Amino acid sequence: MSLINENKDFGVIAELIPNNASVIDVGCNDGSLLEYLREYKNIDGRGMEIDQKKVQLCLAKGISVIEGDADTDLYDYPDKLFDYSILTYTLQATKSPKTVMQQLVRISKKAIISFPNFGHWKIGASLLLNRKMPVSEKLSYSWHETPNLHFCTINDFIDLCEELEIKIEKKGDLSNKKLSNFSGKNFLDSYFNEVGLFLVSKD
Amino acid sequence: MSENKIVTLAEDEPLNLDGGGSLSKFKTAYTTYGKLNDKKNNSILVCHALTGDQYVASDHPITKKNGWWSMVVGPDKPIDTNKFFVICPNVIGGCMGSTGPKEINPENGKEFATDFPVITIADMVRAQKLLIDYLGIEKIFCVTGGSMGGMLVLEWLSKFPEMVHSAVPIATATNHSAQNIALNELARQSIMADPNWQSGNYYHSDKKPMKGLSVARMAAHISYLSKEALQSKFGRNLQDKNSLDYSFDADFQIESYLRHQGFTFVDRFDANSYLYITRAMDYFDVSSANNGSLIEAFKKTQSKILCVSFTSDWLYPTSENKKIVKVFNSLGLNVSFIEIETENGHDSFLLDEPKFFEAIKGFINSTFENL
Repeated sequence: MSLINENKDFGVIAELIPNNASVIDVGCNDGSLLEYLREYKNIDGRGMEIDQKKVQLCLAKGISVIEGDADTDLYDYPDKLFDYSILTYTLQATKSPKTVMQQLVRISKKAIISFPNFGHWKIGASLLLNRKMPVSEKLSYSWHETPNLHFCTINDFIDLCEELEIKIEKKGDLSNKKLSNFSGKNFLDSYFNEVGLFLVSKD
Repeated sequence: MSENKIVTLAEDEPLNLDGGGSLSKFKTAYTTYGKLNDKKNNSILVCHALTGDQYVASDHPITKKNGWWSMVVGPDKPIDTNKFFVICPNVIGGCMGSTGPKEINPENGKEFATDFPVITIADMVRAQKLLIDYLGIEKIFCVTGGSMGGMLVLEWLSKFPEMVHSAVPIATATNHSAQNIALNELARQSIMADPNWQSGNYYHSDKKPMKGLSVARMAAHISYLSKEALQSKFGRNLQDKNSLDYSFDADFQIESYLRHQGFTFVDRFDANSYLYITRAMDYFDVSSANNGSLIEAFKKTQSKILCVSFTSDWLYPTSENKKIVKVFNSLGLNVSFIEIETENGHDSFLLDEPKFFEAIKGFINSTFENL
């Protein structure tokens, strides 16, 4: 999925990552985020990608990439191997978002997770007024062909973190390219952020 | 096109072998392609498989066929010899000019035959290291190979990590499974059951263990192909006939094909070499020098690595290759992994597999650019 907006998202994600950090991008697509972080943050990056065509693109860019599946292949990494793990717009397409999140905070000191917010007012409005599954720029698939299995809202995500004893440290607002400390559920975020982006960790 | 070269190594100091004993003044036959640059940082060492040899990209002197990896190595090929200096040695124990059972033992002027010491994959790598030293290369840009060649790559990463900038082990394993050993034992027994084998002393005899070696090759060849590939290529088709003969002639195409594979193989391969090299593969366990710990075996490795497997390879399946990836991941190494979808079985690494070529090319070129 090329849902990621390079101009907005990359910059915000890069702001969360210190120079020279080790980073794994799970569902790394064609490796462009890792490339960006390599250029601006001099990271030591790794990728995991399920789509072989994209794996090939990563290889040609010199990015170390594992052809693999977030649902099954994260187990192969030891605890806290990476400083950061990144999961952008992939959580909703995993078979078990819960175990993927547990694995992310296990293999890295901090995890950056972003996902389309199903609680956004436009989605609610679409369901309410049209009685149709929403199709938008961020949710570009029709219901019968979508790879997305587990949509959630920002509030659902926050609840799951609580259940898994995962600490949310920061939240991102991509439309305003803004990061702020997390201080609990927020009416505005849950209605008006098209994307949920969080920095989480678990000791 | 490269000429075969032969160099004598271990002239001052013998090469000590894992099984005890040593080899001194042993020969290594090798080919090279392209030019070593001034920085000496563009060399690629290609390690051949069980029945391969140094003719990686030049015509084979016996079969007259193209080199076994001529689709991969050459000008403008995935391993571009306009850019890289490619070295391919025949392993010790082999039969294409490197010291092995059919070569003359300098100590008594007779063929080694079964007096040749049992060697290991690590011994082969130590011998290759002497060749690399001889060529004046301190750090190899990339070591690659499939099957047994992949075992050599793993051994290089473990034994001489500081000499390897990058590596591409293909369709291989960290050790031989019981099934792998069983298949090799079947091959060895068929050679030794041939009365013409004569305990290995057939070099001056009119009778050579051609039937035994041929059956060994037939058995091995089945393991290189997948069931799907055999079925789609041959099915139950009959060979030049419309009905069954009710005899033991080759009624089916697959029988005729295997017999052909067996017969043509004996022209270019030495039966004793087959015994020695399969033994080395069975003994291979890259962790054995480190108390069985794969993590310890690769602890000093810093190389950038690409592991490749093929979906229909049941001899060195994806699961075995993923084990290697897991170890490298555990060590936080710069490792990539790709599984190529194909029905060509283990042999895929020798065949026209465009996605495989693309992966190798992408990895090698980008790694070289970032050198």
